[in-house]
Amino acid sequence: MNSHSDKRVRTIDRVNASLAERYARERRFRTAGLAAVSLGLLFVSFLFISIVGNGYTAFHQTKIALEVFFDPQQLDPDGRHDYDALTRADYGGLVKASMRNSFPAVKTRQEKRALYAMVSSGAAFELQHMVLADPSLIGTTQAVWLTADDDIDMLVKGHIDRSVPESERRVDDRTLAWVERLEQEGALKRRFNTAFFTNGDSREPELAGIAGAVMGSCYVLLVTLLLAFPIAVATAVYLEEFAPRNRWTDLIEVNINNLAAVPSIVFGLLGLAVFINFFGLPRSAALVGGLVLTLMTLPTIIIASRAALKSVPPSIREAALGVGASQQQTIFHHVLPLALPGMLTGTIIGMAQALGETAPLLMIGMVAFIVDIPGGALDPATVLPVQIFLWADSPERAFVERTSGAIMVLLFFLVTMNALAVVLRKRFERRW
Amino acid sequence: MHTTIQYMAAENTLAPAVSGDGGQALAEDSRDFAGTVGDVTVANPAMTARNVNVWYGEQQAIIDTSLDIGKSQVISMIGPSGCGKSTFIRCLNRMNDTIDSCRVTGDIRLEGQNIYDKKLDVVPLRAQVGMVFQKPNPFPKSIYDNVAYGPRIHGLAEDKQGVDEIVETSLSKAGLWDEVKDRLGEPGTGLSGGQQQRLCIARTIAVSPEVILMDEPCSALDPIATATIEELIDELRQHYAIAIVTHSMQQAARVSQRTAYFHLGRLIEVGATDDIFTNPGHRLTEDYITGRFG
Amino acid sequence: MNEMTDGHTVTSYNDELDQLNRYVMDMARLVRRQIADSIRTLEEEDVEGAKEVVVRDQEVDAIELKADDHIVHIIAKRQPVARDLREIMAAGKIISDLERIGDQARRIARLTLYFYEKDNSAPNYRLLSDIPKLAHLVDGMLELAISAFDRLDTGSALDVIRKEAELAEEMVAAQRRLSTYLMEDSRSIGHVVDITLGLRALERIGGHAKYVARHTIYLIKGKDVRHEPLERVIADVGH
Repeated sequence: MNSHSDKRVRTIDRVNASLAERYARERRFRTAGLAAVSLGLLFVSFLFISIVGNGYTAFHQTKIALEVFFDPQQLDPDGRHDYDALTRADYGGLVKASMRNSFPAVKTRQEKRALYAMVSSGAAFELQHMVLADPSLIGTTQAVWLTADDDIDMLVKGHIDRSVPESERRVDDRTLAWVERLEQEGALKRRFNTAFFTNGDSREPELAGIAGAVMGSCYVLLVTLLLAFPIAVATAVYLEEFAPRNRWTDLIEVNINNLAAVPSIVFGLLGLAVFINFFGLPRSAALVGGLVLTLMTLPTIIIASRAALKSVPPSIREAALGVGASQQQTIFHHVLPLALPGMLTGTIIGMAQALGETAPLLMIGMVAFIVDIPGGALDPATVLPVQIFLWADSPERAFVERTSGAIMVLLFFLVTMNALAVVLRKRFERRW
Repeated sequence: MHTTIQYMAAENTLAPAVSGDGGQALAEDSRDFAGTVGDVTVANPAMTARNVNVWYGEQQAIIDTSLDIGKSQVISMIGPSGCGKSTFIRCLNRMNDTIDSCRVTGDIRLEGQNIYDKKLDVVPLRAQVGMVFQKPNPFPKSIYDNVAYGPRIHGLAEDKQGVDEIVETSLSKAGLWDEVKDRLGEPGTGLSGGQQQRLCIARTIAVSPEVILMDEPCSALDPIATATIEELIDELRQHYAIAIVTHSMQQAARVSQRTAYFHLGRLIEVGATDDIFTNPGHRLTEDYITGRFG
Repeated sequence: MNEMTDGHTVTSYNDELDQLNRYVMDMARLVRRQIADSIRTLEEEDVEGAKEVVVRDQEVDAIELKADDHIVHIIAKRQPVARDLREIMAAGKIISDLERIGDQARRIARLTLYFYEKDNSAPNYRLLSDIPKLAHLVDGMLELAISAFDRLDTGSALDVIRKEAELAEEMVAAQRRLSTYLMEDSRSIGHVVDITLGLRALERIGGHAKYVARHTIYLIKGKDVRHEPLERVIADVGH
């Protein structure tokens, strides 16, 4: 006491002397944190800007307006509107005839081939669909918007520079002149690209869509959810509530935690060895993909579920036991309902992980080029991230924007699922 | 006081956080201990405990304790933290079973039946010996469901109407009916602290127990709510045997007819509350209730 | 101060109980001085001294008020139990006994004033001879009772109770002597009556001293022995 009063330095003076330095240190720390966050946001916005910048045009598709005469001679010589006959009729010829009518100046075969190439090979199917839907069109002349070829699409969207010399351009001067004529006539238009959402994969970029991949992802996730959630919850409940604490349960616990850190490709190899080679399940099937992703997401959901069970206050257990509930009643009537939101959150995060996973699916053959939209879990299928991987590998310029478009769809699903997790957590968060 | 008090365990937690040298202190203290002062028996016991020992792992929490819980009276357990009073009442409905490391020996009888008998089912025991906890812990369900839960799982009522009756009488006995009868569907967690604790008492008496154990039921409540609960305990005494653990000596003096003083795992003294608080028989009891521990 | 008050975790509680103890001791000292002074004024026919004794009784009353107030505060703040509670109860009752002893001392001093202040005829010195003797006896009882309280000594307290029998005998003897004087000279009847009142005051002091001793036994043993015969008390406290 005496030594303090002798120096005559009051505590408050010392505090004040060091105060400026303390505040400065706090400010520096806060600035560093803010800088880190800003950097992170910057990278994320780069990612988004580049993807959206590349990809937003994928949601539009250039269409060419043609006057199509549905020539009964060509389509339905019998006039019986027979379904088979209508299906097999030469719609390609119809498209070509219409193009020739629109450009009467084109004479040579070479020129004609270039002219026909302006319209997508899918245009014939569009006409087929129209006729099959309404056979009364036969004999009439309709103004029809047909899908343009991907090169024309790129040209219209500005991805092909019209000012560079012809030799360096994918579209020659002749076609360019036609396009410009069509543009002046108002016969070229960009429409919303429904094909992108309704078609399966295709070699032709303007016909390629993500529907197959989305359906594939849905089947895979459905299988994963149906298997992973019940198994994981049952495991978590058993380990947390019923299992005795001994070396075995410790071992299991360590293994579950380790499993969460295993590279996902290993699960793919396992799936290949066990499900396809041993059990003989079909290659490329969504069922196998779901099984593999179940293995991969199980540890995540188990760990989240155990954490949720642990976070239920012991007072609730005591309350239930105190009125004479058995252990099982305590768990199923009180603990589990309180832990469920946490478990669901963990499940959704696990599902989101599974949705974005590629590597293990490559091992089980889900990387194949599949045109058909899968109709079930046993059909060959691919999934969104793998579709992105495939398109990113394709040389055509038009696949670049489709890759980005597919990424945007995938991100949309991921964000939606994570948002759902947040909403669930907020909604069911209880106070006690 | 020459004895060092070991703050062995927070009374309300399940896990026994026992300090390492607590056993040392117990052994040291045992030299001075010449048996419980006062009469551990009562004329009309609801439960009898004889020579109860409790271990948490290697650590002994209760040493050779015998005590009767009398019908239609309140017995309060007092003592410093970690003295074993909560552990003791948790033995009476085998709430300690939830702790893996906990081991109980001795003889605790309810209506002549040893409750630690291997054949005895713990579920009906806990229906007969209800418990109210330190922190009000209503289920995060409606007020109605909180009270109806016990009767439902035990099948105490034939139909919905029967459950309704039990809920009403239980809430009335707990002095809560008039306050909540118009909002039985609202969550029990939305009530005030004192109301929540009375809801927990209503939930306990809904299964018509013989004995009600209360582990510091008022420690989380304000004085007014505490007074309400104390008044309630006094009313409930007519129908139930009640054992209450409390840190408040005034509360023990106010609500109980008998008082038991625990110290370092031993039952030092038990007797009529009136005698304990005017003229305790053991030096340790006197030092504790007069606030002479340092 | 003593083992009754010490040892609380809250040291200010110790201090408050010590203060209560001090009130008792201060009051006892003052009251014994009052007794001694009042007897002295009677012997020395000191009218002025007697007046001082009468005035000083207010000091005794003042201490009583302060002590009672202190007790109320301790009860309100500390909610005392067990020996603390008995300490406070005993001290409170001892204090009111001491206050009454003070009143009796004042009564004796008034006797001095009555005899010697005006031109009243002074009593024969032989009539007064019993008063100092009895005063010595009751003062001894009071001293012993107070020291029993201070030292928590059950033995001394029992001695005080035993001495009450001696006091009763002395009273009977003194009364017998006074009645012989009265037979010799019936004109002294007025004085005899007054002196009997003085003796009665001393007897009361002895009685209060006995109560102090019995409160002390209650304080130490937790048993209320105020209205029990000596043999029962001895059996109860185990002496």
